[in-house]
Amino acid sequence: MTATTAPASTETTRQLARQQSWWERSNKATMVMAGVTAAVCVFFALASDTFLTFANVSNLATQVAPVLIVAVAMTFVITAGQIDLSVGSIIAFVSAVSAQLLAAGWDSSIVLIAGLVMGAGWGMVNGWFTAYAGIPAFIVTLATLSVIRGIALLTTQGFSVPIDFDTFFAQLGSARWLGLSSSAWIALVVVVLGLVVLHRTPFGQYVIGTGAAEESVRRAGVNVRRVKLMALTLSGLAAGIAGILVAARLGSGSANSAQGFELTVIAAVVLGGTSLFGGRGTVVGTLIGAILITVIANGLTLVGVSPFLTPIITGTVLLAVIWVNLRGKDIGQALRSLVAGR
Amino acid sequence: MAGETEDLLVELKGITKSYGPVQSLRGVDLTLRRGEVLGLVGDNGAGKSTLMKVLAGAVQHGGGEIRVHGRPVRFANPADAQAEKIGIVYQDLALCDTIDVAGNLFLGREPRKGPFIDRRTMHEQAAQILSDLHVKVSSTHQEIGTLSGGQRQTVAIARAVSFKPDVLILDEPTAALAVAEVESVLRLITDVAARGVGVILITHRLQDLFRVCDRITVMYEGQSVDDVPIDQLDIEKLVALITRSEPQKAQKEVSP
Repeated sequence: MTATTAPASTETTRQLARQQSWWERSNKATMVMAGVTAAVCVFFALASDTFLTFANVSNLATQVAPVLIVAVAMTFVITAGQIDLSVGSIIAFVSAVSAQLLAAGWDSSIVLIAGLVMGAGWGMVNGWFTAYAGIPAFIVTLATLSVIRGIALLTTQGFSVPIDFDTFFAQLGSARWLGLSSSAWIALVVVVLGLVVLHRTPFGQYVIGTGAAEESVRRAGVNVRRVKLMALTLSGLAAGIAGILVAARLGSGSANSAQGFELTVIAAVVLGGTSLFGGRGTVVGTLIGAILITVIANGLTLVGVSPFLTPIITGTVLLAVIWVNLRGKDIGQALRSLVAGR
Repeated sequence: MAGETEDLLVELKGITKSYGPVQSLRGVDLTLRRGEVLGLVGDNGAGKSTLMKVLAGAVQHGGGEIRVHGRPVRFANPADAQAEKIGIVYQDLALCDTIDVAGNLFLGREPRKGPFIDRRTMHEQAAQILSDLHVKVSSTHQEIGTLSGGQRQTVAIARAVSFKPDVLILDEPTAALAVAEVESVLRLITDVAARGVGVILITHRLQDLFRVCDRITVMYEGQSVDDVPIDQLDIEKLVALITRSEPQKAQKEVSP
């Protein structure tokens, strides 16, 4: 299929194919966010003695894990030009149903697999209606947001279902390795996987292309419906993982958990520099966005201000960052002239 | 250049196409030879684009016959036409703005190393394709969205050429381009034809036809009405053929 097999030999072709500089390649919105996150961390380190202790950093890693796991998958969904509002409900569903299955005497290993299958299954439901029935993902997942949590509420009657501490499932929640919780390690693995898949594989390329110009990718012979189905299946699967971890850590499964979780996740993704309009995504940015949101909540608690300030500040930062991103080019130019002028 | 039958790439005979009661093609004849640039002209609604969609497999014709390399064929979809080595660059170019030049050239057929895209190979091959065709971009790592209209057009044509087509259809490649950019697109068309590809050029810019075409086929109300070598035409005669009026009258109508 390829047109030429001979390696580029002439000077011009080598010149054409040369890698761009690090500055040219970097996502400017993500750089801004990295700066903001660093500044916020420095502020809290100065304002609170405990912020930079290992215990708190380890705690931060555990807190950020569920958001981060789902946010990495959401990066794919949003980059493909879709949205998934149902992730919070899937977490509630998986945690509640897993707890019920354990209570019914199922073995932990089977419940773990069931949790993943349930998450991916709901993702496929979202994906099928979006990609094959042609209903916008916003509408589909708005509907399943309601349905999925509704089923969880119906089966548990709204009660929290306790998980026996002796089960492997519950021990997963308290397991630690090198001072970090199992959640944190799993999140790290998910981030690395997300990075590789989005930026190194054909699937990642098609996710980006689908968000940028779906029709162009379709005409290139790519099955864009399958790409969309897979993206939404990934976010369902990630929500399944997060649901298991949340239930394991709390030692109970509740249909009321993770209310509004989808908004935190979407905020983390958008803060990182992924375009809500699709076609441009960054897993590193999502990592930074998720950390920033968690650090704000954690830091404000340590500093001892009213907990009700947290949503106000988080929302304000989100709005400010979107404003900055929309003017990203101007700011990039300003930064460049600043660097050049030095 | 002229008429040896083995050079004949495409023959269309009496092609018709109806959309419900509307007959948009009412018997079109067209021939294309190897290494030839054929200009396809006609007023808006004359059926040029429909005819090209038929030839590219995007639309299925009603009656008439398509022969490629002398064999009668019928295209059910664009893949069938591509298998017969017929390529088309639509006006919207079908590029992805947020993907780089190399990624766009190889979209859907990325060179792989295991499960991963072999970016190194992809960029090297992309650079090779672009320098072979003298396409001017500063780097294969540039995002398509940052390119000028002319650069985007040439990248889209390079992409079509990289499939090694025998026939390349270009739909208004020079519309809305700056003067210097029109030049680079026209030069690219000549280069492509020099490699033995038969090029069909649809354009409203009549001056471009005189720069690159060997022959002009004129369409009028869904029919092919004239097939004239370019050296027998000047711009006034061409306008007259398109509008189906006398040259003198046409001159009056057209001149500003």
